[in-house]
Amino acid sequence: MTTPAAATAPVLEYTRASRWYGPVIALNDVTTQVPPGVTGLLGPNGAGKSTFLKLAAGQLQPSQGEVKLLGVPAWGSPEVFHRVGLCPEADAFWENLTGRQFLTTLLRLSGFDEAECKERTARALDEVDLAAAQDRKIGGYSRGMRQRIKLAQAIAHDPEVLLLDEPVTGMDPLNRRRVIDLVRRLGREGKTVVVSSHILYEVEAMTRRVLLVHNGRILAEGDVREIRDLLDEHPHTVALRARDPRRLAAAVVCWPAVVSVRLDPAGEWVTVETTRPDEFYGALHDAALEAGVVEMHSPDENLESVFRYLVAR
Amino acid sequence: MRDTGRPLPFASAARGVFDLTLDGMVFSRRSLLMGLLVAAPMAFAVLYRVLAATRGQPPLGPTDLYALMVAVYWIRNVLPLAALFYATSLVADEVEGKTLTYLLTRPLTRASIFAGKFAAYVATTFTLALPAAVLTFFILMTAPTAPPLASALADLPRDLGVMLLTLVAYGALFGLLGVLLKRPVIPGLVFLYGWELLANVPGYLPRFTLTAWLRSLVPYRPAEDGLAGLFQQVLPAGQGLAVLIFVSIAFVAAAVWIFSSREYVLDQ
Repeated sequence: MTTPAAATAPVLEYTRASRWYGPVIALNDVTTQVPPGVTGLLGPNGAGKSTFLKLAAGQLQPSQGEVKLLGVPAWGSPEVFHRVGLCPEADAFWENLTGRQFLTTLLRLSGFDEAECKERTARALDEVDLAAAQDRKIGGYSRGMRQRIKLAQAIAHDPEVLLLDEPVTGMDPLNRRRVIDLVRRLGREGKTVVVSSHILYEVEAMTRRVLLVHNGRILAEGDVREIRDLLDEHPHTVALRARDPRRLAAAVVCWPAVVSVRLDPAGEWVTVETTRPDEFYGALHDAALEAGVVEMHSPDENLESVFRYLVAR
Repeated sequence: MRDTGRPLPFASAARGVFDLTLDGMVFSRRSLLMGLLVAAPMAFAVLYRVLAATRGQPPLGPTDLYALMVAVYWIRNVLPLAALFYATSLVADEVEGKTLTYLLTRPLTRASIFAGKFAAYVATTFTLALPAAVLTFFILMTAPTAPPLASALADLPRDLGVMLLTLVAYGALFGLLGVLLKRPVIPGLVFLYGWELLANVPGYLPRFTLTAWLRSLVPYRPAEDGLAGLFQQVLPAGQGLAVLIFVSIAFVAAAVWIFSSREYVLDQ
């Protein structure tokens, strides 16, 4: 049940919201509204994305201003969590629980009965492709599996609002793709999804609507393509950890979209620079499977340079 | 049908948190260590019976040894220590493990989270203490020189009740310290082995200690010379019970209030 005022209010609303930690301003005088659909929260590390999400999730109080979620103040309104799911950034779990126990426990804490907990757990595990590992302890999960079970707990109770803090970090390309598809589908179903990332191409794959955060401010909001155009002159860097990194390097070096390929001294990571990320990611799938890519991330130097450019404009 | 306009009802929310916390608490290294410490009197009791059988009656009678175990070992030392190590970490463990976020993003009031965790602490520690106390009682009170078992048996439920109250009262205080301070163990130890010694001074000061009130609830006054001084002042038992219940409620309420109003920044 929702109150009439809450039913008509914007899903997520920041009104002159600021947050500081001692002398450090993490978020500065932010006023924005997040509509239904997928919104990308884009910014380099330390820009204020996590603080933005923590304020939305009622984990922090605004030092000044107001943050409302589903029409009520986000801080001190636990009832909204019937309708909100958070995938936190921290890689933290009750390690002795199995994936299934983790989800059923949290579903029970969301007020579902045993039968519904069981059914929703099975559905969420399927959604993130962890059904086969459901009875293994989370302590024994790989980084990508941990990310996925974290995402599963955020979606298992079918919330209207999803707050996802860097949800694909540490995932292999296949699961990254799967999660991106899931986020897009949730957006199409009318849910409000706020997803933070420091990787433009990742956000672009999920949505066109972005909020650019830099130094605690909303620098711009709107269509991601306008930002992307600014990136043409900046090669995009992708780091991949593979079981057979030399094979991966040999495969990608001849692609026209790739500018450079570098193997790290330990021989585990391959760092690739590309000027056409879409083409690169499109071609990566088969090569990644053959070389056994287990982890992938994109350092944010390119994004930093775009932000420097935007700030200077 | 779930009412999504309100947090989960207090009792079912606390029960859910209780179950989750109990799992983690029971199967922990902390419980193994505390279990050994709490159960040590059973070994003393067995040793006592063996010595009595092989070398004759020791100077200390079985009732006196049991009294020492209850009043000095458990109520004054080990149970407050157990309370210190469990109750200070009720919230701190979740903060340190960064798992508190999962609880705080469920439709649960913070009061129900704290209550569930506190109940799990009491259940875990009392489950460790209960069999140890009962077995120690029977090992000692079935000794040939012990008074008739039927008459001694009447004291056992009261001893167990005081042990439970010890865990609740100290747990409430240390639970409060746990949400108030970042490093509560040292202040807790200072309280236990500094402040609580005021229970042994004459005058009004013992009334400001938990030990003095807990001591008022047990009838044992071990007759050894060195210990006699410890038990000089005995406060009224009825008043002791009321004070302990009141301070336990007050400490838990204060802990809930602080926990409810505090931010937990887990990964900044």
